[in-house]
Amino acid sequence: MTARTLPPLVDHALGLGAVLVAWQVYVVAAQVPAYLLPAPAAVGDAIANLAASGALWLHLAHTLGNIAAGLALGTALGLAAGAALARSVRLERWLEGPILILQTAPKIALAPLFVIWFGLGAASKVALIVSLTAFPVLVATLVGLRGLDPALRDLARILDLSPAQKLWRIDLPAALPDIFVGFRIAAVQAVVGAVLGEWMSGKFGLGYLMTFASATYRTPLLFAAVALTVMLGLALHLALAAAERRLIRWSGAS
Amino acid sequence: MAAMETQLAARAPMISIDQVAKRFAGPSGETIDALAPVSLTVARGEFLSIVGPSGCGKSTLLRLIAGLDAPSSGRIALAEEFRESARRRIGFVFQDPVLLPWLSTLANIRFPLDTAGTDRAEADARAHHLLDLVGLAGFADALPHQLSGGMRQRASIARALSYDPPILLMDEPFGALDLLTRDRLNDELLRIWEETRKTVVFVTHSVEEAAYLSDRVAVMSPRPGIVKAIHTVDLARPRGEATKLDPRFHALMAQFRKDLR
Repeated sequence: MTARTLPPLVDHALGLGAVLVAWQVYVVAAQVPAYLLPAPAAVGDAIANLAASGALWLHLAHTLGNIAAGLALGTALGLAAGAALARSVRLERWLEGPILILQTAPKIALAPLFVIWFGLGAASKVALIVSLTAFPVLVATLVGLRGLDPALRDLARILDLSPAQKLWRIDLPAALPDIFVGFRIAAVQAVVGAVLGEWMSGKFGLGYLMTFASATYRTPLLFAAVALTVMLGLALHLALAAAERRLIRWSGAS
Repeated sequence: MAAMETQLAARAPMISIDQVAKRFAGPSGETIDALAPVSLTVARGEFLSIVGPSGCGKSTLLRLIAGLDAPSSGRIALAEEFRESARRRIGFVFQDPVLLPWLSTLANIRFPLDTAGTDRAEADARAHHLLDLVGLAGFADALPHQLSGGMRQRASIARALSYDPPILLMDEPFGALDLLTRDRLNDELLRIWEETRKTVVFVTHSVEEAAYLSDRVAVMSPRPGIVKAIHTVDLARPRGEATKLDPRFHALMAQFRKDLR
């Protein structure tokens, strides 16, 4: 018996490859019409055509831009609100109800409202992403800051740190492993929000591409848009994982 | 022994604890007397240990001196020249090292200087000097999780010394370490103390540690926490293996144990 020497990435690629081959064989053998289920090769062609026409970059850049702006604003808001709530138990008690209601309300229900408030352009999409990403970051920040070792507070007292120094140099770094849990949820939600926002309105983005493709029965294009969204989400996940490894390598080994 | 007593009394007090008491509200609303009114003075440059069982209020007293908690009554005063400068008169070594795990050993030791806005080159020089002093030269770039428990506590002592406070408070700093490491760190601590001449208040539950390290030992007893007896440790310095063979050392330990019973 040979030892497993393949890196996990190769295993993942082999698994994915097997699924694609089975899919291709099934579609060709059963003669499934392309508007029901296009073969992987047809989806690949659709992506290639998009890239060749330059439309791919236009849509990708639009979606990515919305995600970047929404994620930046949403996480900043979540961090700030989490830090504020962690400071005051009373504030947390007051805002617990409103925040919970806001969070349980399905954001899909809010999406048309954001269009009314922020128009058909990028602003309504960014607002939707912010509403989806701020809460998980807020909760993670609150959990992280509330769970800190009380000895760290003593250290800050002994060293006579200002509240800002305590927050930036002790509390936030110490809570970072928890906060990253919120970032990971927010990254997934940001992709959902971007696609959802583009379904509602506009003429750009991967979400728009999906509605356009399904309205015109171009199923290979629909699959292409979905595949690109998945890849975008995966890239975001990998970038976040790399940042996490870099920033909190101190926590895993202890 | 009497000579030493007068000698210590002649030195101006660094810490004056006057009728200090601490009460907590218990879980069902009753008052718990963690510390009955306690009076104690610590002389300048003195090494004073407080020994007692769990719950005798020794850590509470240390936290009150550090200003981490406020006394319910009574007052604690520091020597006059340190009253005005509110900042950083006290170095505190916690039971756990409480190092910041994302900072290197050097950056941890430098942390108090960085947060005080000390010039980086000066802070680095001071931190390197302290690394040498506590025997951690060569571990400047190690992260805390890469150090042993004893090394972490050394780094914690170096951090407390970084801003050169006149007073060093230590709350069972070696309580979690194995006996061999503890013995070695006791010797290191004495060497550092002889070199820096800080006023040290050292909380421990080990009578041996108290007798070995201290100029005086305050024995506390619980419920409510009181200082039951104060003993002067009249053993020659520098102390070492010979001290541990001295019959007077053993007599002192026996006395402390009797007080604790």
